[in-house]
Amino acid sequence: MISSIGLIISWLCLLNLIILLVSSNKFRIQLLIRLNLLLNFLLFCILEIALFIDDFSISYVANYSAKSTPPVYKFASLWGSLDGSILLWNLVLGAYFLIYIKYYKKNTNNSDIKIFTTIIIFFTSYTIFSSSPFAGCVELASVGCQSSSLLPFQDLVSSLEGRGPNPLLQNHPLMAIHPPILYFGYIGLVLPFVITTSYFFRKDTSSNWVQLASDSTFYPWLFLTAGITLGAAWSYEVLGWGGYWAWDPVENVSFIPWLLATAFLHSSKTQVNESALLNWNYFLGGLMFLSTIFGTFITRSGVLISVHAFSNGNIGVFLLSGLAFFTLFFLYSGSKNIKYFSTSKKIKYIFGKSSFFIANNILLFVSALIVFIGTIYPIFYETLYQRQLTIGRTFFDILIGPILIMLIFLMIFSTKITIKNINFNRWLQTNLKIINSSLISTIFFSYVYQLNYLSILSLFGSTMLVITVLLNLVQEKRLHKIKGSYWSGQIAHLGIGLFAVGLLLNVSQSYSDEFITSEGSIITFGNNNYMIEKSYEVRRDEKDVINLPIKSNDKYKNASLNIFRNSSQQAISSPAIFRDLESDTYVTIKFIDANSYKLIFRKNYGILIMWMGLALSTLSVIPRIRANEK
Amino acid sequence: MNKNFVLILLGISLVTYSSIQIASNNTIFYYTTSEAFENIDVSQSERIKLGGFVEVNSISKTPNAETKFTITDGNKKVGIVFDGFIPELFQEEMGVILDGYFINQVFYSDDMLVKHDNEYISEDGQSYDVENYSE
Repeated sequence: MISSIGLIISWLCLLNLIILLVSSNKFRIQLLIRLNLLLNFLLFCILEIALFIDDFSISYVANYSAKSTPPVYKFASLWGSLDGSILLWNLVLGAYFLIYIKYYKKNTNNSDIKIFTTIIIFFTSYTIFSSSPFAGCVELASVGCQSSSLLPFQDLVSSLEGRGPNPLLQNHPLMAIHPPILYFGYIGLVLPFVITTSYFFRKDTSSNWVQLASDSTFYPWLFLTAGITLGAAWSYEVLGWGGYWAWDPVENVSFIPWLLATAFLHSSKTQVNESALLNWNYFLGGLMFLSTIFGTFITRSGVLISVHAFSNGNIGVFLLSGLAFFTLFFLYSGSKNIKYFSTSKKIKYIFGKSSFFIANNILLFVSALIVFIGTIYPIFYETLYQRQLTIGRTFFDILIGPILIMLIFLMIFSTKITIKNINFNRWLQTNLKIINSSLISTIFFSYVYQLNYLSILSLFGSTMLVITVLLNLVQEKRLHKIKGSYWSGQIAHLGIGLFAVGLLLNVSQSYSDEFITSEGSIITFGNNNYMIEKSYEVRRDEKDVINLPIKSNDKYKNASLNIFRNSSQQAISSPAIFRDLESDTYVTIKFIDANSYKLIFRKNYGILIMWMGLALSTLSVIPRIRANEK
Repeated sequence: MNKNFVLILLGISLVTYSSIQIASNNTIFYYTTSEAFENIDVSQSERIKLGGFVEVNSISKTPNAETKFTITDGNKKVGIVFDGFIPELFQEEMGVILDGYFINQVFYSDDMLVKHDNEYISEDGQSYDVENYSE
């Protein structure tokens, strides 16, 4: 029943979009866009209802939810696997469509509506013709559903119990909010794509398209930053491997759009100020969205080896053809405006604002390129030599690390940057105190932490960045006339500076050790003693949890193993974390039986500082919102 | 042609070329047990990923809580010393992928993925499908 309703509404959704594609009446367009959002919201609610009432006649519910799944994770199961997540994708896309016509539509031409509608039709047709989360189950598997039908009103079979979500997705509530936030980031990049291509498609290059595209990129950028941060935090706080970033393909493809969006937010300013870099801005404006589709292709088609790539099917071909189609359209729209691109002005000042932004763009784009190559290298290698391999993380570390240091040194100049050439002598004189104090603190901490040359350099850069931006914040606070976007930028830079300090500590200082121990013993690690208590087991409907209480300085924390029922993946080892500003003591269970425990103790430095830095970067939204209110 | 355009193209090719060079020095290969013995030095190897099936009656524990077992792809058996987190589903005849290195024909590993049928096929790619090796 629910299956049929969902399938029919999906068809209505497509019909509505096709009418929208051919409509030209302004009022009707407004109505149909809202109707599209409403239908998508309805689909979302229907699937949620199906998940909550355990309607296992729907293949998706039978395969990715179970009766014993707790409510929070039932709710999140909607985006727990590919078919459902496309539903969320369409809902967010519909929401952005409404946002687009309300805030970013600055002309009466309808080509942008048609481009946007085409994009939505593309993703909606996937849920109709290829694989729908509402597909009814026609053949049972031992648990869950074996095969399903995309037609409504079939004779459906219903299993007694579902398979349940992937254990990784039901171990912590962070995992329930991380994907939707990331989606708001990814899908938001459709706005600059639609803006740039529509303006260029109708050769309307007189207006300030780049300002509009840049404004529309900021909020998606923010969601990307928050989404990636939450993902890293989840990975660290829950997964128990002691790290936060593994250069896994799924992480890489979220990082590429972030790098490109960051580059675009800066390069667009150059065009606004000096009418330079027109072609580059067009290129970035579209590439952000294309890189998102590319990322979805990489992670969802299963072409790569990754713990994240847990889906398979015909989505690969579908996304690749979409990627090709949108790329060709993007190139076509651009090629119509070759003349306009040639009006791009030269940069006048070699040491002015624009040059700094160009340097920033080169570094960010090169990073994106390196991450891209590292991600697709295994695919090409396998195609050419029929051998499977993965790229070790050293590749990314040695290439991206130095670029981050260079970016930090660039950011130091961002506080008082001028369009005209910067006077380095004057700059040195005014900042002498900051340079000296950064130098002194760098020397002090280099001695305390025994840093190597590269770390000393980056510590100097990031300390100076943090001090410069902080002092500037205090000084300029009195002059209330500064633009909101300036403050956004400064706070984002301050956050990155803090993050860099934390990252540096983490990379250079962390160490770990292994202990084989038993109940009642005391372990000395770092400068602290840890008392190991007796382990106990908690049985819940969806999982068994083995908890091992560890006591230090009168604080109890549990390291635990989560063993999920109804699932076919390994148990998850959640860490006990004793935390202070400088470092975490991070304990995970490696092996446990009745009388002996094998534990890993990790001393992870700088984690809290990193989280604070990234949170600060996300808070950079506040000045901008306040500026918009005025 | 525009001078800047040529410069950008040159730059991109340079970055691409050098990162491919660096990438090719940072690879971790996948092998089945037979492939490993054919292709690499098993007396002392680099870090690789090794796949195969756990042999019946081969699992035992060492005094310092390591796990010993044998895996095979049907042709070649390899002794494993595993020191890491053991997935709950680890058992005899299960397909596993181990991350580690060879010393004197024994494979030392600290990371294990248990291979499953129906659901998580793409995890380790299609061409390396461990099921194909089971009898």
